[in-house]
Amino acid sequence: MNADSTDRSTDRSTDRGTDRSTEPAWLLVTRREVVSRITDKSFLVGTVLMVAMLVGFIGFTAWQDGRTDEATLAATPDAAEMASAIEESAPEVDDRVEVTVLEVDDRDAAEAALREDEADAWLHPADGGWQLTSESSEQDSLTDVARAVVRQQVLAENAADVGSTVEALEAGSTVSTDFLRGDAEKASVAEAVGFVFVFLFYFAALVFGMQLASSVIEEKQSRIVEIIAAAIPLRHLLAGKVLGNTALAMIQLLVYLAVGLVGLTFTPYKSFVPDLSGPTAWFVGFFFAGFVALACLWAVAGSLASRTEDLQATSTPLTMLMLVMFFGGVSLDGRGQVIASFVPPVSAVVMPKRILAGGVAWWEPLLALGLLAAFAAVTVWVGERLYRRALLQTGGRVTLRQAWAAAE
Amino acid sequence: MLEIRELTRRFGDNTAVDHVSFEVPAGQMTGFVGGNGAGKTTTMRMVMGVLGIDEGEVRWQGRPITRLDRRSFGYMPEERGLYPKQPILDQLVYIAQLKGMARVEARAQVQELLERFGLGGRTTDHLEKLSLGNQQRVQIIASVLPRPAALILDEPFSGLDPKAVDSMVDLLREYTRDDVPVLFSSHQLDLVERLCDRLVVLSHGRRVAAGTVTELRDAGVPRFRLVLGGDAGWVRDLRGLEVLDLDGTTALVEVREDGAEQHLVAEATGRGDVHEFVRVRPALSEIYREATA
Repeated sequence: MNADSTDRSTDRSTDRGTDRSTEPAWLLVTRREVVSRITDKSFLVGTVLMVAMLVGFIGFTAWQDGRTDEATLAATPDAAEMASAIEESAPEVDDRVEVTVLEVDDRDAAEAALREDEADAWLHPADGGWQLTSESSEQDSLTDVARAVVRQQVLAENAADVGSTVEALEAGSTVSTDFLRGDAEKASVAEAVGFVFVFLFYFAALVFGMQLASSVIEEKQSRIVEIIAAAIPLRHLLAGKVLGNTALAMIQLLVYLAVGLVGLTFTPYKSFVPDLSGPTAWFVGFFFAGFVALACLWAVAGSLASRTEDLQATSTPLTMLMLVMFFGGVSLDGRGQVIASFVPPVSAVVMPKRILAGGVAWWEPLLALGLLAAFAAVTVWVGERLYRRALLQTGGRVTLRQAWAAAE
Repeated sequence: MLEIRELTRRFGDNTAVDHVSFEVPAGQMTGFVGGNGAGKTTTMRMVMGVLGIDEGEVRWQGRPITRLDRRSFGYMPEERGLYPKQPILDQLVYIAQLKGMARVEARAQVQELLERFGLGGRTTDHLEKLSLGNQQRVQIIASVLPRPAALILDEPFSGLDPKAVDSMVDLLREYTRDDVPVLFSSHQLDLVERLCDRLVVLSHGRRVAAGTVTELRDAGVPRFRLVLGGDAGWVRDLRGLEVLDLDGTTALVEVREDGAEQHLVAEATGRGDVHEFVRVRPALSEIYREATA
């Protein structure tokens, strides 16, 4: 009895994994996970590539937005008047389009000008209207401007013919849109950023999850896990692996978000950046809780497999869950979205989306985050038990039921 | 001393290890032999606490073993492998740290062991870049970090060339000199006979023999070989002996009644020249074959 109690107390002191002289075991494991991953070329290349793509995309958007389209419009004498009307009115229709008229003598000259790239389009009357001929592809901005101006001109003439004006004819025919909350542009920005959030979570959970599961298999397959298990409690190994991968995922996420937000200030959407920072902070919190919950499950998927080839099978339920989260996050709206925003783990992506859209009471994100954290605590507890029991079983795949019931 | 008492492990209906007991005394090398599936690996995994124990117990220095005790043991699992894609120095230091060594101290010891095994210049190489023999050496280093209180080695010699076996043996002898108990399993009986102070034979999960090599060889019914100047055919007529082999002047007999061999010697000297009279002890491989048959 006495011997037993001393035995337990020594056991407990090592459970903490602490020797006075050294670091706790989970911290050693965490550090190895981070260092071995961060010095891995494919991880670095992947991250840099992603940042480069982000910068490239934002840069392209900004450039696209800031540049002026210059277009040359060829016109034969019968269209000269209309062409110069387009040239004059273009800035009123679209201030980023500049039209220059090139007068040509006849059809042949116009076609030659198109072929030699002296003109982008040729304007000429066609049966009952006007036609814009291009060589092989049309320039949308020029087409839009031409359409608007021609319509305006012709409408004015037609109105004059019946003794009226365009204004009189169009009176009372407009439909404008209005939102009780925010405005159209804000809503579309929220939609786009929401998609980015969902995608980032899905991407990180899948990539880091797979990585975590295969590193668990690597240890199990090589039996190094037996050496580790003889040295430290397995829950330290699990904790270290989950924390290490969570840290890596968070670092990567923060880099992407920082690049994204800073990049956005160089685009015409810069006015939305202050509005986005609050929801982004919430997203980071939800990402953290959601990621920890899923990381434990990925570790279990790894521990159930004996060989890398088994991972496909043992991780199927998880990849399904990821897809449900992705499509749920992208497509749910209305009442479904409100309900899903409280249901873990889907809430990890749905609630940040709702926060972005606005109109969420202050307690709603807190409640959702609390539920998600509680869910994470449950998966950590269940995952630890399954992982510990499945990890040291060799020979073939272990089923969840076997792992749960297995003696240690 | 490490004591294994009535250790039992079942997998479903199959009893892999069935009430196995033996001792691994301090400063001795104990060889663990038995065919495939005899239960050697399962027993070693239970000793290391990597596998749960259904019945029985493992005792260390006279009391039940604890996690802390096991942490001080050196262990080499059966299908060995460390991290294939990590530099060998880094992963050995990591393992030493998990076993409670401080980083600086661990580095120094790992470096020293790597040099001793001729791997001093390859500390930053990934494990998978090394030859199989060198990978095995790294594995051995991993099991003796830090200075182990006991060594539990599952097939440590498999895949080693004779030179590597020798340097491995030298290393193990260093530990037994320091009173460290060493338990290792092997298929190579000649090696076990050469190295071991003691032997434990398992068959189908049961212990079928245990003891020092001399004890085991002396344990059976005594046999004697007699070589005479003349024909040895008369030996058949003596009581209390069974003749196993008779070839002209040479006879191999097994003693069935105590003292019958004395009678045999007296009779032989009475009849003429006795060239040889010697006790025949079976080779270890014979004992092993009989025990596991």
